[in-house]
Amino acid sequence: MVEIEGVSKSFRKTVNDGTSEVKALSDVNLSIRANEFLSIIGPSGCGKTTLLKIIDGLIPFDGGQILIDGKKVTAPGPDRAVVFQTFALLPWRTVLANVEFSLELRQVPKEQRIATARDYLRSVGLADFENHYPHELSGGMQQRAGLARALAVNPTILLMDEPFGSVDAQTRQLLQEELLELWQRERKTVIFITHSMDEAVYLSDRVAVMTPRPGRVAEILEVPLPRPRSAGEVRRDPRFAELTNYIWHSLKKGMENGR
Amino acid sequence: MKSRSEINVLSILTLAILWEVAGRMIDSMLIPPLSKIGAAWWKLLLSGKLLANLSLSLWTLAAGFFLAVFIGIMIGVLMGRFRGVEHFLDLYVNALMSAPSTAFVPVLILWFGLGVESRIAVVFQFAVFVIIINTMTGVKQVDGTFVEMARSFGAKEREVFFKILLPAALPAIMAGVRLGMGRAVKGMVTAEMLLTLTGVGGMIMQFGSAFATDSLFAVILTILIVAMITMKLVQKIDHRLTGWKVEIAIE
Repeated sequence: MVEIEGVSKSFRKTVNDGTSEVKALSDVNLSIRANEFLSIIGPSGCGKTTLLKIIDGLIPFDGGQILIDGKKVTAPGPDRAVVFQTFALLPWRTVLANVEFSLELRQVPKEQRIATARDYLRSVGLADFENHYPHELSGGMQQRAGLARALAVNPTILLMDEPFGSVDAQTRQLLQEELLELWQRERKTVIFITHSMDEAVYLSDRVAVMTPRPGRVAEILEVPLPRPRSAGEVRRDPRFAELTNYIWHSLKKGMENGR
Repeated sequence: MKSRSEINVLSILTLAILWEVAGRMIDSMLIPPLSKIGAAWWKLLLSGKLLANLSLSLWTLAAGFFLAVFIGIMIGVLMGRFRGVEHFLDLYVNALMSAPSTAFVPVLILWFGLGVESRIAVVFQFAVFVIIINTMTGVKQVDGTFVEMARSFGAKEREVFFKILLPAALPAIMAGVRLGMGRAVKGMVTAEMLLTLTGVGGMIMQFGSAFATDSLFAVILTILIVAMITMKLVQKIDHRLTGWKVEIAIE
């Protein structure tokens, strides 16, 4: 269980010769249940990526606290792994070596590392591409490798930062379906950042809607659609349209208030 | 369209023929025809003088160059990684980088004497600054998300350095090493001409002052060939180490 309690964060911004404080997050409260798939949706610049980095322990914050199973987060830990929007694959390493990277940092011995990396590459459908370099793969395949790298360390919490934001629409749909299948099998806690309402509803158990800067959680919605969800069926469900419509109005209200 | 190497050969042949014809027509010792230079070169080779001097020169070159690579990369990485170090040193590095390296040779003689140490110091001083600057730039330009990714998976500072910064900056570092190699050869010849007359640089001075132009050109050509070979060698190593980058560039 992840508890976000009153988290605030300001950045110092230097423009020309003046420094100003920019408040990115203001008193964010949110708790994520174990094994839950929760999406955080919000307009650009609402600080959702910042929030994800704070949960990962990558950047310090000003106020409040993050608790994971009751323990305070101060640094990245083995219970969490991030899937990055820009994939963040190392261009000088093959796909296999990229997936191994996360295990290497945890001192897993070489043979075991390769075996584990191959397992996860197979589960994301990249078994035949282990010796390719990232630039030889399509965006969708690169993100599959990024997902395999995160899963390889067997985290309990998967932090996904707009992971499908930079691939084309068809690939995106495919990746969403694959992610749901994986999640159905592995049952991790997933915190998923997105700006797509459709994606949030299709994937999540709950959706947290954020306001524009400074970001706060405006409301949290339950998605009562049955699982396992097939992409086609879910989208024909009248509740799907209702939910996306509701989220849209919630986002719009936040943006109008912020003006 | 011919291949690059074919055009290269054509270019060398054209120059060689022009040189030979010009040398015969002008018939002056100032521009000896290529055939005479070749004969002089052969004689120098048989006498063992050329190889003895060349190996002496190359030894100096290797020592100074490797020292420059090692120390240059070390300082460059520190400057690229820590802003404090960069601001503390960049004034001197930039000044010494653009200053004529030859100007410092007398200082180095005062410090290191007239022996081989001094020549190594000159080679080092010629090569080191361009390596520092390229390394620093390379480290500074490493994509921040790579560092973030590594930290997120639990990398310590040492691992960030060896697994992210160094490999990511390698193409830039190798560019510096390549430029450093060229400068090192210049340093080698300069040291031998200005310090004690040894090595191939010493031969140049000796033949030059004796108006032995055919031997003089023979030595100069030898130096050019050595410079080209060392350059190719560094390029080979570069491609081996950073092949992933080259592939990206071609795409």
